[in-house]
Amino acid sequence: MKKAVALVLMLLLGACLLSALSGIPQAEYRLLHGEAPARIVQHGMDDTGAVNLVTGVLFDYRSFDTLGESTVIFTAVAGIMMLFLPGQVPLAGKGLSSMAKRSVDLLLPFVLIVGLYVISHGHISPGGGFQGGTIWATLTILMCIVYGTQFESQFIEYDAKKTLESAAAVALLLVGAVALFAGYPFLSNLAAGFPGGTPGQLVSAGHIPWLNAAVGMKVAAGLSLIFFSMVKKKSGEG
Amino acid sequence: MESALISVLLVFLLGAASAAVFFDSILNSIISLGVFGALMAAVFVVYQAPDVAMAQAVVGAGLITSFFVVTLSKTSAGAKSEPE
Repeated sequence: MKKAVALVLMLLLGACLLSALSGIPQAEYRLLHGEAPARIVQHGMDDTGAVNLVTGVLFDYRSFDTLGESTVIFTAVAGIMMLFLPGQVPLAGKGLSSMAKRSVDLLLPFVLIVGLYVISHGHISPGGGFQGGTIWATLTILMCIVYGTQFESQFIEYDAKKTLESAAAVALLLVGAVALFAGYPFLSNLAAGFPGGTPGQLVSAGHIPWLNAAVGMKVAAGLSLIFFSMVKKKSGEG
Repeated sequence: MESALISVLLVFLLGAASAAVFFDSILNSIISLGVFGALMAAVFVVYQAPDVAMAQAVVGAGLITSFFVVTLSKTSAGAKSEPE
């Protein structure tokens, strides 16, 4: 019965989406039209110094949006940490078998480096602070699962993560405030005098690498905190 | 070539999504959702959106799955199937 209802609802939703799809002008939706996309494609690299235009849009044209997004993560982390009450100690898990531990040993450094690469090359190649930070967060989750939370919490302290997350939020705001002191709008990039460098090089694109680093730290610490708050238990339990 | 690839991926997407809805066990549904996320990332790559694909691969296939599994093991549905 339940499944029949689910099937009917799914088909209904599919029909709605299909009818909406037929409303999109087929010939035009692949093309970039309108003023803003054309402007970004033509002048994006000069305006932002970033070869990866997606990151250019996220951290230059619409960096205030990105600030809002990272505030959303901040609020989510604060809420979850409040929900899973403080005063709980890490669950002393033994982790998985030693075979799993040795395989993950081999894997961990590479995952760490991939995360670092994705964050630091956000303005050149696909990726950025959010993606790289999430890769780092999955690293700590992997450690939690394979080695047990006790080991993970000794390796990366709980308070250190909290400090890191708050510090990254402050760093994000401070990078934005630099432009204010130069007399430009909040979070302006090249206009505020950040060195643009040669587009395509690692040190270029003004404040975009700094914002990427801050967002990466923030997302990694935040998501790791969320997972850690969820897996730990009260000392009496279990 | 591209359209054939997309068609295959979309069929698998549909299969994974239906599996996530219709599986009896919640754990199976969660794993299907992870597969759905990974396939979605492949679709994004074919449509030349590597930034979105990367976020989708890490969040949709990695984080969501682990969060859901932890939530399941913390709730009554998980306690029944895997006693500690």
